Amino acid sequence: MQAPTMDPAGEPPSMLWGLDPIFSAFARLYVRDILQMTESTQVPGIYFYNSHPIYKVDVLGTVVYQREREDFFCYGVDDGTGVINCLCWKNDLFKEEENSSKSSVKPSDGGFNPGSELKKLRQAQQSRCRLEIGELLRVRGPVKTSRQQREIMASCFYKVNDPVMAVQIAWMMEVPQLYRQCYDKPLQLQPTATGESAVSSIGKATNIIKDFFKQKSVSRFRPYDVQDLLQPLIPRQPQTAPADQEPVAGPSACQQLRQLLKDALKILQDEGIVYRKVKSQDELYHVTAQDKDLLIAVKDIIREDCKREKYAEKGCHILHILSAVRQRYSLNVSRAALELVLKSLECNSDVVSTSDSHYTVF
Amino acid sequence: MLPAAAVFHFPWEINSGEVQEGLSVRLLGRLVCYQPEESRATLSAQHASKEHQVVVHTLFVEPFNPIIGAQYIVLGEIENAEGVGAMVRARVLNCVDGVNVALLQKATNEQRSFFREREHTPGDAEQTAHAT
Repeated sequence: MQAPTMDPAGEPPSMLWGLDPIFSAFARLYVRDILQMTESTQVPGIYFYNSHPIYKVDVLGTVVYQREREDFFCYGVDDGTGVINCLCWKNDLFKEEENSSKSSVKPSDGGFNPGSELKKLRQAQQSRCRLEIGELLRVRGPVKTSRQQREIMASCFYKVNDPVMAVQIAWMMEVPQLYRQCYDKPLQLQPTATGESAVSSIGKATNIIKDFFKQKSVSRFRPYDVQDLLQPLIPRQPQTAPADQEPVAGPSACQQLRQLLKDALKILQDEGIVYRKVKSQDELYHVTAQDKDLLIAVKDIIREDCKREKYAEKGCHILHILSAVRQRYSLNVSRAALELVLKSLECNSDVVSTSDSHYTVF
Repeated sequence: MLPAAAVFHFPWEINSGEVQEGLSVRLLGRLVCYQPEESRATLSAQHASKEHQVVVHTLFVEPFNPIIGAQYIVLGEIENAEGVGAMVRARVLNCVDGVNVALLQKATNEQRSFFREREHTPGDAEQTAHAT
């Protein structure tokens, strides 16, 4: 598999395990897979299914073997693909029950008797923990290997009442879907800045552009001004083909670059970091935070309108400011951009927020 | 010691000889006949407009409450008995009357096709499972 992300033993590095969502979930694997997954050489008790680190599982199956010891039950659970031993500790309540069952509880005369209710509760709990062969068990817990045998150390287990197999059928239908959607899909992690996945390269692109704004105090720009900045994010195509050969199909590096830039600008616009004052052929973007005219316009609107009786007490609502900005300044200012402007004005104490969405000046 | 996993099968697969002797199976069928003196029950299922019957040896699961006409699920091993052919020696026999037979068949097929898919595609799953 992805060679660079593996250590020599063929495992993903342990530092990355926590990034795999399956790691912290109870994986609903088939018993067959639980028995076959390889144990980690770095950390015993961690197993790998399809490079996913796994240490706890969730299993539903028929009890086909049963032993009771003083402190625990041992159930062999069969899910139709394999049989695994489950070590199910008796909890304290269970032991208490065994003790208290010897001492007799006084029968009450019809009224509510906490003692007998508690006893009933314990009996109910006990009956869910003690299973016979042929009954259905749901068990969750970490996988252990003891004496070369895989077993599940139950952290939670109970008998499932399934008279018409509805639970089992639902489980059988669901598990293949889980495999297809999660367990059988390799984890996409990019520990190094290779920018292979589309999502991360867009994130990087927006960050690069934002840094550029900050460093150069850009107030206005056109797409071609920033296009070259994103060049390093486009994977270079191998230049092995002879020069006279036709280029292979698929988006060229130049097209990819333009698409990436377009996507990044869209995100920046959605976040309100940039906006277009006028929508025209000339693709001119304004950087919201650097647009002094916009800042002044917003400040003026708030100052003027707060003099009106209607807004005097509470200040102007953000939507009122937005519509005023659109009327007087530019139709294309988004709410996100306005929020950024208001935030920076507030940081300078030019305006004061009186509530979540009301602003005034003093 | 743990028994082998009882894999879902359909009753019509038992008689057609698809399932070898000694294999563990789990199957669903309607109880049509029970002979306690011989510890022998017969489960039946319809498939492709034919009635398929499977003989179940019930010695290990007795006593049980036989309800003629109800759906039962059986877990056990295939045995060849004289005069009967393939027979299931039951370890578990549960009455599951009211079960949605069609849905269970669908779920069984779903599971099978999933495993088939995984074994046929150059499975990463199998690779990692057998690595080291």
